Amino acid sequence: MKIHLYQIIIICISSVMLFQGAREFLKRETGQTFLKLAVRLIVWGGMAIVAIYPNSTMIVARFIGIEGNINAVILTGFLLVFLLIFKLLSAIEKIEQNISELTRKEALSHLPDKKSADPQGHNAE
Amino acid sequence: MSKKVTIVIPAYNEAEVIADVIEEVQAAGAYQIIVVDDGSRDNTYDTAASYPGIIALRHKINRGKGAATKTGIVAANRLGADMVVTMDGDGQHDPTDIEALIRPIVDGSCDVVLGTRPKVKGEMPVIKIIANKIGNLVTWLLYGLHVSDSQSGFRAYSRYAATIIDTKADKYEYDSKVIREINNNRLRFAEVPIQVRYTEYSMGKPQKQGFVNGLKTLVRMIWSMLV
Repeated sequence: MKIHLYQIIIICISSVMLFQGAREFLKRETGQTFLKLAVRLIVWGGMAIVAIYPNSTMIVARFIGIEGNINAVILTGFLLVFLLIFKLLSAIEKIEQNISELTRKEALSHLPDKKSADPQGHNAE
Repeated sequence: MSKKVTIVIPAYNEAEVIADVIEEVQAAGAYQIIVVDDGSRDNTYDTAASYPGIIALRHKINRGKGAATKTGIVAANRLGADMVVTMDGDGQHDPTDIEALIRPIVDGSCDVVLGTRPKVKGEMPVIKIIANKIGNLVTWLLYGLHVSDSQSGFRAYSRYAATIIDTKADKYEYDSKVIREINNNRLRFAEVPIQVRYTEYSMGKPQKQGFVNGLKTLVRMIWSMLV
């Protein structure tokens, strides 16, 4: 079986994305849900399957009604767009979180210490 | 043994009512109060800071209700709170409910208490009842836990829960993300009915969780699962 360069690239990227997703989910990191893992499995797993079994696209092609070499172009385009959107949104989300964290740190830097914050001892029975 | 209860009040442009809210909480019991001004453009911070004994913190820029609530909870943890109660800064929550809200935690029967608003026509606007049911359904579908009021901001946390709950949600989806954290961390929770006062002021705020903001929250909740 002849292996093409695009197959190796797609399998490598898919493996990394799937591994990262599975690791984050198994470590129960914040925001990692089963649905998120499922989306990753479908998107990147699907890419990997298409790369390993290119003929599987015929099923999709027959289903949507597009056949021929154009499939390869569309697939590559989708892969790049997915990768770009994924990275872009992750970066935006990370920046938003960092801004909130910085804002929080700045606000908490004005927090008085325990003694001066509660001189009368606010307690409830 | 007495427990230290800290009330966290996130506030954004609430200068008109924040003084009344603080005075009501002070009248309800000997609680430590933390007001987190979320980058307001009015005098919310100055008004809160003018009260002796109140801890007023300020976000330099507006980051959302969730971010302000989290700042308040972190502050309460650092000050050694045994229990943390979060309530809205627009005066819609009645501080006399705090006692009922913290009771299950004092008893040791649960870690988190969710204040549940009455969803009866006449007591809650119909549009809010519908939005609430949708919010509960989405929270259940996305986070796997069905509660009666996933969007209520009137909640009580034990010290353990206040420390372990960690979400990066900044806006209104924070309330739903807390439900996810309860589920993920297997925290014991209870739901306690609370009173809500829908005033002309609280219903007219541009930053309230209305229909459009509700849709935005919904989109953010779904989006955050995909990205």
